[in-house]
Amino acid sequence: MEFLKSVQTSRFLLLLNILLSILYFVCVVALFPIGNWPLFVLLVVSEVFHVWQVFGFIHTVWYRKRVKEFDARFTPDVAVFITVCGEPGDIIESTVIAAKAMKYPNFSIYILNDGKVANRDNWHEAEEIAARQGVTCITRETPGGAKAGNINNATKLTQEPYIVVFDADHEPKPEFLQQTMGYFIDEKVAFVQSPQFYKNADVNQVAGGSWEQQALFFGPLLKGKDSINATFMCGTNMVLRRVALDEAGGMSEKSIAEDFLTSLLIHEKKWKSVYVDKVLAEGLAPEDFLSYYKQQFRWARGSLELLFSYNPFFRRGLTWAQRIQYLSSSSYYLSGIIVLINALLPLTYFFFQLKPLTINTMTLALIFLPYIIVILYTLQITSNFTYTFRALSFSLGSSTIYMKALWATITRRQNAFAVTSKKKVSGNHGKLVLPHLVYIGLVVAGVAWGVFREGWSASMLSNIAWAIIYIAAFLPFISAAFEGSREESKRKKVGKNKDNVTQVEATA
Amino acid sequence: MIKNKLFRSFVTYGLLALMVGFAVFFGLTVFGHTSLRLDEAQSLFQTQRDIPGMLNLVAQDVHVPLYHTLLHFWQLLFGHDIYVARIMSLLFFVGTIIMTYVLATYALGRRSIGLFAAFLVTISPFMNWYGSEARMYTMLAFMSVLHVYFFVRILKQQGSGRWALWTITAILGVYTHYFFIFVLLTELLAVILLRKHFRGEHALRNIIISGALTAASLLPWIFYVYRLGFASNTQPALAEPSAGDLFDTYAQFIFGFQVPGVNTLIVSLWPIVVLLAFFALQRTKKVIPPEATLFVLLAVVPVVGAFIISVTIKPFFLSRYLIVALPPLFIFIAWLLTRYRRWIARTVGIVLVVAVAFLFVIQIASPNTPVKEDYQQAVQYLDENAGPSDVVVLSAPFTIYPVEYYYKGTAKLTTQPIWDRFNQGSVPAYDPAKVEAETKANVGSYQHAFLLLSYDQGYNEKLKDYYDGHYERVAMHTFSPKLVVYEYKIRYDPPVTVDE
Repeated sequence: MEFLKSVQTSRFLLLLNILLSILYFVCVVALFPIGNWPLFVLLVVSEVFHVWQVFGFIHTVWYRKRVKEFDARFTPDVAVFITVCGEPGDIIESTVIAAKAMKYPNFSIYILNDGKVANRDNWHEAEEIAARQGVTCITRETPGGAKAGNINNATKLTQEPYIVVFDADHEPKPEFLQQTMGYFIDEKVAFVQSPQFYKNADVNQVAGGSWEQQALFFGPLLKGKDSINATFMCGTNMVLRRVALDEAGGMSEKSIAEDFLTSLLIHEKKWKSVYVDKVLAEGLAPEDFLSYYKQQFRWARGSLELLFSYNPFFRRGLTWAQRIQYLSSSSYYLSGIIVLINALLPLTYFFFQLKPLTINTMTLALIFLPYIIVILYTLQITSNFTYTFRALSFSLGSSTIYMKALWATITRRQNAFAVTSKKKVSGNHGKLVLPHLVYIGLVVAGVAWGVFREGWSASMLSNIAWAIIYIAAFLPFISAAFEGSREESKRKKVGKNKDNVTQVEATA
Repeated sequence: MIKNKLFRSFVTYGLLALMVGFAVFFGLTVFGHTSLRLDEAQSLFQTQRDIPGMLNLVAQDVHVPLYHTLLHFWQLLFGHDIYVARIMSLLFFVGTIIMTYVLATYALGRRSIGLFAAFLVTISPFMNWYGSEARMYTMLAFMSVLHVYFFVRILKQQGSGRWALWTITAILGVYTHYFFIFVLLTELLAVILLRKHFRGEHALRNIIISGALTAASLLPWIFYVYRLGFASNTQPALAEPSAGDLFDTYAQFIFGFQVPGVNTLIVSLWPIVVLLAFFALQRTKKVIPPEATLFVLLAVVPVVGAFIISVTIKPFFLSRYLIVALPPLFIFIAWLLTRYRRWIARTVGIVLVVAVAFLFVIQIASPNTPVKEDYQQAVQYLDENAGPSDVVVLSAPFTIYPVEYYYKGTAKLTTQPIWDRFNQGSVPAYDPAKVEAETKANVGSYQHAFLLLSYDQGYNEKLKDYYDGHYERVAMHTFSPKLVVYEYKIRYDPPVTVDE
């Protein structure tokens, strides 16, 4: 797997990133003449965030060697939990079959069935599958705590000292337990996480974009976090030590990103974590835009909640490296507001001739181009060339989702835990990218107005170029939103043609 | 299989021949027939004398003597016309096209990259301009591509023979232009950064030894210049470059010399570079070959290095001096496109080629192209309008070279500040205290004065204001950007007629 290949990025390159980021920041904040003050303040805020992101990234991928104990002979009893909440039966059954095929002496499989409490029509399917496959099904009767509640319920009903969690669609490979359990020989290891690999990445744009975003996280980022004992759980493909989980109060039911928060609570208690950089299970990426949207919202909401309610900076028990890592990961979702600020800057010029800086655009280029090009180059090197333009597009395009999550977090609005759909939700999801379409409309109107006002001035042209960058970056995201309706109209067309052929044949 | 290979070779060489044909056609027709320019006049002035005299003049100038020596013998063989002199530059331009193909294909392993890079060089308005200028710039480009080819061979293969070829081309390079040193320094940097990728051992040791040999080979010339004591002032005074000049250089490399409005349009769109960098983020293409990194360094380090030195030590930042960065830039662009998804690569490639071709035409057709120097037309005007009782005053003084080349008129030619170029020494500096006396000395006894202003050294406007304030201006003609002739009536008494 390319995304997991070890890449030791040159420290010179990483330091160059920091140097150029600081140089750019200092120039923008302290050296360049200020234009409009409110815009300048917003620009400074966005640049502080960018510097922080660069610093967080460099801190993560900075090469450090970590020696981890591993003993393949360590084979204690394991409870394998397959969390289910109304997923299609065939998907659940495949996962159960794959789990049964794991090469390991002592394990029991439990289907944790939440379909009933979630009022899913097919909730009984899980029980039928359990009976067919000879595994245990634990169907919850009392709702609460969503996925975390489901796991906590099963934890109480089982005894094994180690717990494996798989989502319903994540089929483990036979060697899963052989490759993970050996790390628990170190008595301080609380959990072992393996990558969340999507086998359907090539199915369509949404799945592809979704995976390409993940590849960076499960490649260099988690490997980097592992080197400083800051890996966090990702909800599936993980093994937990029951004692550590109990000490943290079980899976946290206070957040919709229960895995993230529970990891922090476990690390606080001085437990260790391990990331195994091998694909040991294969799952399904969201194949439709609505599911992707919901998944991103859940992650963003959970992470922002952690930032605001459990700010890692003030948590006792964490090392400084862990604090930086948790802060860096959770604050990533603030990028929504930052993208909004940056994307709006060309518009403020088109409509109101307002600029945060009154600097010559070429001087800005002199500082900005080396900074951004070195960052992109580093991103490519560290991700072993798995980070793509589409991933970037999905990250920038998701800014509206992140903003919505930020708003929900600030206003403390309740959001139910939404399981990512394992079956494609058909239909047109164009309304989810309405803000992006409005942005394009505003840019077109703004350019017309600006050119009418002052012609093709240097400032106009530079701002047009910036707006083009944002539009180009949003396009794959927008296109993915309309993928469902495109496929539907294609299906209708094929159906119509078939009908016509049948009619012609009938007439003949 | 063999047939297929033969066909591909046929297509490749056919395309290369078309490119060469394109360059030769435009070189011999459109560009070859343009007016002589100041720098070219200096080349002719310097090379149309005996070798010691030529070396003496070149030593006073800011250049090294290889190009001048070649041009000297070229003219002995083929004649002294500017058209003939320009053909030598055209040959180096053609050589650059071919060597760009050879270098890019060899370095990056794909003919398509070589062909596209060579194509960009061929249609580059910048290269075409200097491909027909009797100066050393296309020779410099050719030497750098040839030299880098041997450097890439060192990178890819073992053996000491390549270092010998590297050293020979390095020596030829530094004797073509001082700025070739930037190529050598960039290669040194590449050896340090890419040391793991070198096939042969001791690359750092070898480049230091070969570089030292190259430097030693330049010592006789440095000693000669030093012994003559030329802290020359003949070169135009250059202003400290701004950030805009840095980007202008790259804009000129790709889009040629455009009027300020178009140039502003081009450089203001710089954020598009960020988008092009985004497009390069692709999963399918893996490793960045060290050769690509080398081309990035060669395209960036000489330009940025010259910029930094110009800002911090002494301004000598001119895009033509940095022509060594042009072929690597085009090779890098051609390679970068291969990392894009196919449809993006095609779109970007087509947009680029169409834009370059369009601006190529604009550069040719527009009378306002900033580098155009139409001394031919200006002198024709003087020939027709200035008589024996008139005087032609030239400023800056060194513009006397191109004017003299064409001038067949009867009016006296002089310069202001007054310069006796047959006496050893530099062009005199402008002195406001001397303007009145020099003007009187120049025009006092004539009926009309024709003030030809070009190559502003910072005082043309002041000189024009002085003439405007003291004499009646009767005409003004602009022949090319910043090349203007003002006609003044000096005396009102009728000219003395001498009966036969």
